[in-house]
Amino acid sequence: MNWLIEWAAYLPQLMSGLGVSLMIAGVSILAGYPLGLVLSVMVGAKNLAVRTLGLAVVEIGRGAPALVILYLFYYGLPKFGIAFESITAACLALSWNAAAYSSEIMRAGLQSVARGQHEASAALGLSWSHTFFRVIMPQGMRSAIPGLMGVAIQMFQGTSLAYAIAVPELMKSAYNIGSQDFNYLQIFTLAGICYAAISMPATWITVYFEKRMARHA
Amino acid sequence: MTLSEIANGKLAPRTGIKLENISKSYGNHVVIDDVSLDVEPGTVTALIGPSGAGKSTFLRCINLLERPDSGTIRVAGHTIEPGKVINAKDLAALRSTVGMVFQSFNLFPHMSALKNISFPQQKVLGRSKEEADERALQLLERVGLKDKANQHPGRCSGGQQQRIAIARALALDPSIMLFDEPTSALDPEVGLEVLAVMRELADDGMTMIVVTHEMQFARDVSDTLVVMADCKIIEQGDPKAIMSDPQEARTRRFLRAVLER
Amino acid sequence: MDAFSAVLQGLPMTLLLTVSAFVIGIVGAVPLAVGLSSPNAVLRLVCRLFVDLVRGVPIIVWLFLLKFGIQIGTFKFNPVGAAIVGLGVVSIAYLAEIYRGGLESVPRGQNEAADALGLARSTTFYRVLVPQAFRIVSPSIATYLTGLLKDSSIASTIIVAEMVFQSQSFARQHPTVEGILPYVLVGILYIVLSLPVAYLSRSLDARMRKAVYA
Repeated sequence: MNWLIEWAAYLPQLMSGLGVSLMIAGVSILAGYPLGLVLSVMVGAKNLAVRTLGLAVVEIGRGAPALVILYLFYYGLPKFGIAFESITAACLALSWNAAAYSSEIMRAGLQSVARGQHEASAALGLSWSHTFFRVIMPQGMRSAIPGLMGVAIQMFQGTSLAYAIAVPELMKSAYNIGSQDFNYLQIFTLAGICYAAISMPATWITVYFEKRMARHA
Repeated sequence: MTLSEIANGKLAPRTGIKLENISKSYGNHVVIDDVSLDVEPGTVTALIGPSGAGKSTFLRCINLLERPDSGTIRVAGHTIEPGKVINAKDLAALRSTVGMVFQSFNLFPHMSALKNISFPQQKVLGRSKEEADERALQLLERVGLKDKANQHPGRCSGGQQQRIAIARALALDPSIMLFDEPTSALDPEVGLEVLAVMRELADDGMTMIVVTHEMQFARDVSDTLVVMADCKIIEQGDPKAIMSDPQEARTRRFLRAVLER
Repeated sequence: MDAFSAVLQGLPMTLLLTVSAFVIGIVGAVPLAVGLSSPNAVLRLVCRLFVDLVRGVPIIVWLFLLKFGIQIGTFKFNPVGAAIVGLGVVSIAYLAEIYRGGLESVPRGQNEAADALGLARSTTFYRVLVPQAFRIVSPSIATYLTGLLKDSSIASTIIVAEMVFQSQSFARQHPTVEGILPYVLVGILYIVLSLPVAYLSRSLDARMRKAVYA
């Protein structure tokens, strides 16, 4: 019973942290998806320079831990005189992350579109942009939806790493409360419940979409 | 009105096509070996032969879905040399003159039947949505599928999908139609619906090149029968004459195998 | 000391965390995967909730819970212990889900054929289903391993002296331009370290393919 009373007292402060977490996740997804689409096209480009650049951005964004990219933006770049606020650094780093992961998913989706669709478009004389945006993308993105939802969940969880650069998000709020009263167990449990309360239903919805798509494939 | 009149609004200028010395190989693997073909305006050419003979690849070279290594394509006043760099204008001219129907239909699954037919008209010919939709509906009615206008391809049978695909190609006012085994993916009875539409198109005077295994269609509808084997044309001429009295041993063997099945 | 040797100082710890958690995961996920595909609905639901809960909470929260929240008598986790247990439990949940997917993707006909031949259930499971499932999931396992390698960096937040922690302390001591170096180097090092895993997964995949279909 004690726990519940304490939780009720902590909740308002934690909720403002959760708001920051959701904001960062939202920004990184909204920036990451379109960037990811651009990257997925770059990686498939014929021009070697474009392709190499695209690949480098994707491979670093996926291959390096999010924490490292976060530190690079927040602690690394200021040494060159480029300084960001911690929230901005978090948004930039996670956007890169989101773009890299979603580009791979989108590329797989675009590649899953049957060859005949490209051929039919060519035979009809449709231009590249009409073929891509009106024929290939609508089909490719459909199969990419569950994966992209997964990226969104991953980004939401990834915002917890912004704790390490002192962004006042959910994890940081929990830590602050904990270091006042030293009841870390209660507060981190509550923080975990907050994360799970969003991630778990989101995962279930994703799985539902995945199954539905497998059925209609 | 006839099918091609609906497609064109008025009668299409009848166009033939001249293919000279087309060759194509993938690495060391030769697929088409110096093939020339002359198609007269308003005629139907049936292209038959054993699988692997290069028929489909040859057909796809005509609208440059496959880029031949060498040769010349003359169509509607344009001369296109696929081995060289082709500018976008020539490619667009070629593709707008030549319509194509695929074995696997290749309808756009995320668009309704109507949209499949009207969308390319708007984007390629710059027609208004109203005009394109109206044309699409006329064509759908003509191929007997007006009631399917708002259905997505996934909810149509194979034969219906292929008739929609023919309507989609016709909507762009082609003066030549290419058919790549249009009935091979269909059950025999369903294939008949498609062949009926093609026969009607031929009667209208459309220039057609048809890769097919339908021997009866080849004999009854085509003006010229072309037999391909081993990357070359081995025999061509009047379909009835070739079928009753093939000159080449390879043709004889192929016809016997097909007809005995 | 230069930036690269500073980062390298953390390499053994990064590898220790990754390998320990991976071993815990590989073994611990087996019973959980069996539970996830059990015919008993209650057991299945409990396992499902466990997997989804573990995956629904960010790793950093688990590490802080273990490091700061757990005190049983005089026992408290040291940072390395908390990191290994935390990453290990998370690995169990993720790998169990991968195993389950693999078991489900073996065609039903295999099960039926084994039944028709009169094979015992355990024989069917270990000699027929598992080898095929393993071939299907081995690329996913390798992908997970590279993910785990990257996630081990989160241990730096509870003061485990792995690569990112070492990069941080080098950067703090070098406020000049070269302070950016360790972050760049450590990023590249993670990418380089994941290359052999990707290679292993490909060759493993080829070997399993041969073993199954030879």
